[in-house]
Formats: sequence, C-alpha cells, structure tokens
Amino acid sequence: MLHFSRWKITLILGAIMLGLLFALPNVLPQKVRDGLPGFLPSQTLNLGLDLQGGAHLLLEVDLKDGLDKTLKSELAGLRAALREERISAAMRNRDEAIFVTFKNAADAETGAPILRKQSVPVDANAIGGGGKTLIIQKLNDLHYRVTVSNEFIEYISNRTIAQSIQVLRKRIDPTGTTEMTLAKEGKERILLQVPGAKDVGEIKDRIRQTAKLGFHEVVRVDPVIMDLCVNENRCPLASIAYPQKDGSGYLMVKDREIVTGADLKSASEGLHPTNSYPIVNFRYNARGAKKFCDFTATHVGEPFAVVLDGEIITAPNINTAICGGSGFIEGSFTMESARELSLLLNAGALPAKLNIAEERTVGPELGADSIAAGKIASIIGLIGVGIFMWMIYGLRFGTFANIALATNIVLIAGALSLMGATLTLPGIAGIILTIGMAVDANVLIFERIREETRNGRGPINAIDTGYRLSLAPILDANITTLIAALTLYFVGSGPIRGFAVTLSIGIVMSVFTAIVVARLMTSTWLRRARPKTLPI
Amino acid sequence: MFDIALVRFLPSNTNIKFISLRWVAMILSVIGIIASIFLFSTKNLNYGLDFKGGTVWEFHLDQDPTNADLDAFRQLGPELGLGELAIQTIAQPGDKAQAIRLSVPKQDALEGDENDDKAQQVALESVKAAVIKLYPEVDKLENTLSVQVLGTKVSGELKRKGAMAVILALLMVLLYIWIRFEWQFGLGAVVALAHDVILTIGVFSLTALEFNLSIVAAILTIVGYSLNDTVIVYDRIRENLRKYKKKPLGDVLNLSINDTLSRTIMTSVTTLLALTALYIWGGPGLNGFAFAMIWGVFVGTYSSVFVASPILLALGVNRGGVPK
Repeated sequence: MLHFSRWKITLILGAIMLGLLFALPNVLPQKVRDGLPGFLPSQTLNLGLDLQGGAHLLLEVDLKDGLDKTLKSELAGLRAALREERISAAMRNRDEAIFVTFKNAADAETGAPILRKQSVPVDANAIGGGGKTLIIQKLNDLHYRVTVSNEFIEYISNRTIAQSIQVLRKRIDPTGTTEMTLAKEGKERILLQVPGAKDVGEIKDRIRQTAKLGFHEVVRVDPVIMDLCVNENRCPLASIAYPQKDGSGYLMVKDREIVTGADLKSASEGLHPTNSYPIVNFRYNARGAKKFCDFTATHVGEPFAVVLDGEIITAPNINTAICGGSGFIEGSFTMESARELSLLLNAGALPAKLNIAEERTVGPELGADSIAAGKIASIIGLIGVGIFMWMIYGLRFGTFANIALATNIVLIAGALSLMGATLTLPGIAGIILTIGMAVDANVLIFERIREETRNGRGPINAIDTGYRLSLAPILDANITTLIAALTLYFVGSGPIRGFAVTLSIGIVMSVFTAIVVARLMTSTWLRRARPKTLPI
Repeated sequence: MFDIALVRFLPSNTNIKFISLRWVAMILSVIGIIASIFLFSTKNLNYGLDFKGGTVWEFHLDQDPTNADLDAFRQLGPELGLGELAIQTIAQPGDKAQAIRLSVPKQDALEGDENDDKAQQVALESVKAAVIKLYPEVDKLENTLSVQVLGTKVSGELKRKGAMAVILALLMVLLYIWIRFEWQFGLGAVVALAHDVILTIGVFSLTALEFNLSIVAAILTIVGYSLNDTVIVYDRIRENLRKYKKKPLGDVLNLSINDTLSRTIMTSVTTLLALTALYIWGGPGLNGFAFAMIWGVFVGTYSSVFVASPILLALGVNRGGVPK
C-alpha cells in the first residue's frame, strides 16, 4: 500500500495541478483572466440564479387550447372533403371528438373511405411512416367517431412548445443580446431563466399576452341580438362579440379575420400624422396587403375592428380603399404601450396561452449577501476543522490531513469549473458540509494506524496495515452516501441539484485525496525520515 | 518538534457496554418515534412555500420598519381579500434596512381557470400595488430581495418528488448493503435510517420550523451521513466476526462499536464544526438546512450505535454454524 511508482506519482501530481489550473480563474480578477493566453482555462464557476440574482419562471403551455384548435380545423377539413363529394352528413364537436352522422347508408358507404383518407401520416418525413393523424371509429352504420391520435397530439404539443419558445425569445430578447435560458421542461412546460437585475414585471407582461391580432369586419346588429350573444352565448352564425378597450360596450364582428397578425411584415411605434397621439405603424406582407386592399375596396364607408387578444382596440371607418400595404392602429396608446405592442406584433403571436406555474426571482443584493455569508462560513469551518485535526493527530499527520482537505476544496472548485456546473446556495451548503465530512476518510485511516501501533506493529507495518484495512469501509461508506446524493440529483429540482452536485463531487474527491494524496505524502515521509515511532 | 502532545478525547481502549444499554435505547427510540408520528399526524409540518404554494415576497424599506408599518402590511390581507398575510422581519447584514418577508397564502383558482397558477400571480400583483402605494420606495428594483410564487400543481409535484427521493434512496441503500453484507445488515441499516428520518420529521413538527426543499435535501444527507457511520461499524463487525469466531455476537458487536468509537466521535466533531459555522455565519437561507443537519449528526451517530447494531443481535448473523 505504500509503494508508488514514478509514473503514478506523476499522474497524481498532474491531476492535482490540473485541478488547480481549472480552479485558479475563480480567484483571479476579471482583468487578469481576460489577459490569459487562450490555452489556459479561464472558465469560472457558473453561479445559480439564487446567487447572482435573476428571474426563474416555469411556464405551463395550455396545450388544450391547441388541441381544440386542431380539432376545429380537422372538422373543417372533413366537412370540406365530404362536401366535395356531395355527401351530406351532420358533424358535431363534443368531448374532444368529432361525431359524424351520415344521412343514409349509401352516403355512409362512400363517405367512410373519404373520412379515412383525411387521416394522414403525422410526420411526412418520419422514417418508417410514424402514426396517422386521426382515428376513425365506426359506431354503427351511420355514425362515426373521429378522434385525434396520440401521436398527432404529441406532434402538435411539441410543435406548439417549440413555436412558443421561438416567439418568447423574440419578445424577451428582441436584440439578441440578453443572456438567458429558454428550454422545454418536461412535457408541457418551458423554463425561462434570465440572470441579472431585470424588471421581472416587464418580462411577465410579455409572456402573458398572446398578442393575437386580427382585423375583422363589423356586423351591425340589433341590441337584443347583441344581448343574447354577450350574456347567453347565443350568437348569430359565424359572428362573435368582443368588448371595446375604451369601455364603450361590445361590438359584433365576423368570426373570420380579414387579415391576421401573421400577415404583418413589421410593426413600429410612431406618432399620428395629424394629432400626434402615439400609434402603431405596420406593414403587410404581399398576401396581407392584397386581402386588405380587396376588402376595403368593397366596404368603403363601413367600419372594421382591430381585435387584440379578444379586445377591440379600435374600430375605424373605411374612408377609401387601403391598398398601400401599410397602415397604423390608433387606440389611446401611450408611447410605452405602443412600443410594447409593436414588439409583440413583430415577435408574432403565441400559439397557445402560457401560465406562470412557478416564479422565483432573486435580487442581486440577496445573492451577493448569500455568497459573502457562504465564504465566511466556509473559511471558519475550514479553520475549525484544520485546528481540530492538528490537535488530534499532531503536526505531522494533521498536516497531511489538512493538505488533503485543502486539495479537496481546490479539486471541487476545479471540477465544478471544468464541468460548467452551476453553484447554487444549497451547493455552498454542500461544500461546507464536505469540509466537515471530507476528513472522515483520513480519520478512519489514522485511527486504524493508531490501533495497529497499539497492537505492537512497527511504523511502516502499522501504516501499511492501516491503509489496507481502511480501504473497504471507506469505499462502502462513501458509495452509500454517494447513492443518497445521486438520488437527490435525479429526483430533486433546481437549486437542490446544485447541492447534490457539490456533495457528490466532494465525496469522490475526499476519497481520492485521502487514499491517494495523503497516502503519497505519508509514504514519502516514511521513506525519507524512517521514524522509529509514529507521532500519531 | 513533531512530538507535541496530542490531545486525546478518549482513553485508547474504551470498553463501554453499548449493547447492554440496548433496552434503554430501544425505549427511548420507540418513545421518540411514537411522539414523532403523533406530532406529524396531529400538528403536521409547517410546510414552506415549496410544498404549500402561495407567494413569498421579501423586500425592504429605506429604513427599518416600525410596528406600525408591519401592522399596515398585515391589514392588506383582509383589505384585498387575500386572507391572512404572514409578516416577518429578517435581519439584513451590512447597513441595510431590515427586510420584510410577506407571505400570501395560496389563493383558490380564479373563476373559469383550470388551475390556480394565475390566481397566485394576480394576488402578488395586487399586494405589490398596495404596498407600493403605501411606500413608493419599494418600487425601486434594488429594494426587492426575492419573489417566489408557486401554484398547487408545482408545489404538489415537489412534495411528491421529495417523498419519492427519500424512499428511493432508502431502497437503493438497502440493496447496496444487502449486496455488500448480508440481509440482516441491510435491514438493520434501513431501520436505523428510517428511525433518523422519522425523528427528524418529528423535530420539525415539534419546533414548527419551516419544512421546505432544502430540508428534504438535509434529510437525504442525514441518510447518507448516518449510513456512513453505520457502514463503518458494520464493516468492523464483519471483520471481528471473522477474527473471533467463538466470541458471542453481543461481545463482537460491543468490541466493534468500541473499536470505531473514536473515529465516530472525531468525524461527528469535524462535521459539527463545519455545520455550526454554517448555522451561525451561513446566512438566513441556509439556517434551516444547518439546523436539520446538526440534529441529523446526533441522531445518525446514535442510531448506528444503538439501533443498527442491536438489530443484528435480534436478527442473528450467519457465522457458519457458530452459535450466537
């Protein structure tokens, strides 16, 4: 146990030097780090949001909304397909399924294959086909039930989340300069992390708004009909009532938009040419421009409504055909709200509603306090443990243990920097705990050496036996602790994972420093000093 | 110069009859466990935001808040229809004003909403607006220390995951010890660990200290620490069983505990040193964690001596035909 070959010593020292090299940037000032040549590591520890401050938002995507929309569009598709073949059938959308009732047996016979033809592969590019979009069940001769397949639901969900992430990125970071994380989390969530001091309220406002913009034709109706629609949800066919932003009651509009936010090319805030109120300027793309031109040409003198997220922001009259491909929206904006709306329009509408399921925001001040407190506690803990080890095991072996402990801390910092792991507040707790527990392996060994010395063994024999017999218990004890730490990593979430990471690395490093580094020191000393008795 | 006098905590050869104390220990442990279960089922735990949901907002004013200020905040709850607000002050390091910790209880889902996520956000918004109206300085970005908002769904998930983590860790450990030792050892270790976990939960129920995610992390670490101790003792028992084939099991257990006693105490002391530093200087965020761990070091050390080892005596160990 006490012999180290030359290459082994080189390897051990090399590993420690490497750890030192990777840990070093953490204590260098930023200026020195920037001046380091490229081949040297300059990566420092990533600080978690709880230490550097920032916003952590877990967003839940309302996938049901997307599913409803899909069902509606599939229903329209089925209806169109049957109509093309002149087959009459009643269709109803109920309980997340479409119920088709054919008029007679002959229609059912020709209609059923048409229904089936509407079910296409979910992903046309998937190798091996993949699943189909729809499931068509025959209930009886005339009745069929059409549902969306699980594969299709999953495909839609994934697409919705991917699109949401894209839109959010453009909304929160329009200039592409903010450092932030936006990633899918689990099946129906998006994790958004923005480090640094930020106005979280502004970020949340940009998340909450779907920013679904539509230009609708206004339908003039009797107040009685309006009342039925608003209060009893019995609206005329293909029409819908929206409240007006200025509080002047409801307006009835056509369900179908003339143009939507998707037909916009760009938007920007500006001032009204005559009265200088803030407005939102926009430009249509070619398709949008043509549609709007056609509509306004045939509806001169009538109003149209601009609807944003279920609210009419303005309903101006059409004075002449608008064919220039651009226009503006006025609607009692402030300069600020006009800028926000143009930003949202430029980023596009969210494909589904987002809910904030979890919010954790930490101000930079609190984070800095936590780091300072963690540093003080670590240093005091280190000094306390160091003095204790010297008191118990004397200067010689106490020093071995303390060098091992210091190496351990350096290696933890090095490993965390190298892995690009994130240091969190619980992570600091993990390091401090490691300071206390890391000497355990050395304590075990030294106690064993004492015991073997008492049993009458000579120094070399006692040390050799001590290391040999301690190996199994050290490994067993640390592997079991490691199991607990790893469980925590895989089941835990957020900052707690940071604790699991530092604790796990600390355990592994403490075993290495005790049974390799401290043993190397002991054996080197033994060979040089050849002591008659052990100062332990 | 190296022959300085070394401090000895214990005489070199201790011979304390731990095993004969096992009945006393058992009575103590059983009382502790029954009390813990009783407390947990009647008083439950003071769940923190992580498991309960709701909103916690920490901020400070430009000066230390007076009692009148705190009362004004307290009144906001009923005024805004949000239920009782919990208001606490937290000492801030440096020359900054004392921080105020304002907790809004979890709100029910808004009408037409499937879950209550939105309701929590609405509550936070209304409290914030009301506080800023009273104290405009709070609107400054640097005066907010932290905001945490959780709905039922996420807090429920965290609770389930936390419980799962503890149970999973116990099972994995049982498996490992079973493979490395014999089943009696595995069972003994897990009973000792369950003992530690239950007593820790009992203490948190008794003291009504906040029980949050970091306490779950502490419990898992206690599991790791206590196991560490137990495994060291077990390892020595295994070694001594091979060495002294004729010795009665009780004597072997006693001998092994005494053999490893100085190590057990040393490691407890160093760990407690580090944890005490964490408790005193580590800041308010890690206070609960440090407290749980300090408790865990005592319980874990106790359980490896007085729970894990005596169980071996009760279960018996296969010694290749040697009577126990």
